[in-house]
Amino acid sequence: MTEPNELTGEQTKAWLLAFADRVIKDADELTELDRQAGDGDFGWNISSALKRARTNLEGENPAEVFQSVSDTFLASGGTSGPLFGLWFGRLGAGPSAPWAVSDLAKAFDTATGAVRRLGKAEVGHKTMVDAMVPATEALAATETRSWREALQEAARAARVGADSTSGMIAHRGRASYLGERAQQVLDPGALSIAWFFDAAEGV
Amino acid sequence: MSRFFMNERETLVEQALEGLAEAHGGLVDVHTDPLFVTRRVPAAGKVALISGGGSGHEPLHTGFVGSGMLDAAVPGEVFASPTALQVRAAIRAADTGEGTVTVVKNYTGDVLNFSIAAELLAETHRVEQVLVDDDLATQREDDGGPGRRGTAAVVAVEKICGAAAEAGVPLADVRLLGQDVVARSATLSVAFEACTNPMTGKRSFELKPGRMEFGVGIHGERGIETRPALEAAGLVESLVGPLIESVGIKRGHSVLAIVNGLGATHGLELGVAARETRRVLDGLGVNIARSLVGPYVTSLDMKGLSITLTALTDDLVKFWDAPVRTPALVW
Repeated sequence: MTEPNELTGEQTKAWLLAFADRVIKDADELTELDRQAGDGDFGWNISSALKRARTNLEGENPAEVFQSVSDTFLASGGTSGPLFGLWFGRLGAGPSAPWAVSDLAKAFDTATGAVRRLGKAEVGHKTMVDAMVPATEALAATETRSWREALQEAARAARVGADSTSGMIAHRGRASYLGERAQQVLDPGALSIAWFFDAAEGV
Repeated sequence: MSRFFMNERETLVEQALEGLAEAHGGLVDVHTDPLFVTRRVPAAGKVALISGGGSGHEPLHTGFVGSGMLDAAVPGEVFASPTALQVRAAIRAADTGEGTVTVVKNYTGDVLNFSIAAELLAETHRVEQVLVDDDLATQREDDGGPGRRGTAAVVAVEKICGAAAEAGVPLADVRLLGQDVVARSATLSVAFEACTNPMTGKRSFELKPGRMEFGVGIHGERGIETRPALEAAGLVESLVGPLIESVGIKRGHSVLAIVNGLGATHGLELGVAARETRRVLDGLGVNIARSLVGPYVTSLDMKGLSITLTALTDDLVKFWDAPVRTPALVW
């Protein structure tokens, strides 16, 4: 019997489908940002991975669903794809049951820690980590028992984090080669993380 | 029609591996979906040794799969890292329960994807990494950059770690041994002509006659400077001098010398380069205790060569001499 406050596998699938729809619909926006600060393939890469993920989405609980998404990202090239794959893959190591808020907080903490470590990126480097870390911290600090409210807080924090990348000089990723020339460009990786947490809203 | 022996670009790597299995079916198995190569007769009760990286460097790494060397190799597309999914599958296939050492050349994509694969298996597999960064041409004083590239010293690491794993050396010690070989090694490369990428049909850079590119890598990138071309004697001196200094090799020391063709350098030329390497080191009172001469870490059809020196110990000589049976290396 699933508690109403626990995130189920079905809800996780709906969350990821909403995320995929948003990215596929607005891929041009991500690509345009990456064109200004990188090599212009980000939107295309992430939306094609999510198109494939959409058709393979499976699992009885959140961990299994995240695992099924992970593999499609891990099969893609470049740097962002594998890092998304790592993030979802570590989420996939969470408990094999519906997730309480504390499970969400713990899984995202582990996953975000792995991305920081292997991507060698910290807050302020102008990468996806600038949205991941505040969202993860918001989940850890939340006092609500409802996963919906917890993810809403995470989404707000992720959006603030993503917005903060405009104005940063990149220390990691392609944009780091451009220095001040890409300073005012929002990081597309961080923006897509904000969209990910946003997508839980309608589930 | 292209001037390459291939069908479609998309199937080049996989079809080349089908050919490897055709030629060496007794030694290797080729797995598809995802793509990786394992030894035909799986090892038991030993540390697994796995390497990989972009294709275009053949026989590296798939040619070094077999007893006494690699348990699995993971090829990417031409000059592109394999995916974490391929690496994870290879680790799962090769691990015998004694843990896995991955040998990774220092390139962002390779390091990232091998590290991600290990991280994803953290709960079920023990995986340690040896990072190979031997190319002097990319040495920088500051720590901010990506660091030295990994080039031909990877053959010494794979051979020596492979022998150690076969001899039952445990996981942590195989990694330490590999990292020690890296610390004792340095490489420099030179090219008279760039390689031509079969994906684009284009040469990666142009050189005027009478010029050479000094300090090239293995991905078609330019070197650190263009210099007047030298005859073999002067050319080998210009490569060996900085290597000796970098590794701290002194009179009376013993070294392994790898004289490596980059793809379009003929055996006749490599023979001359090996002779000159011997002459230069003799003059410095350094003993070439072991050497390997041939195209082992290539850069498609680049017309050039690299010289790697590894300062040896008795232990390293023992592991170097241990039997090996792979498509590209047998003794």
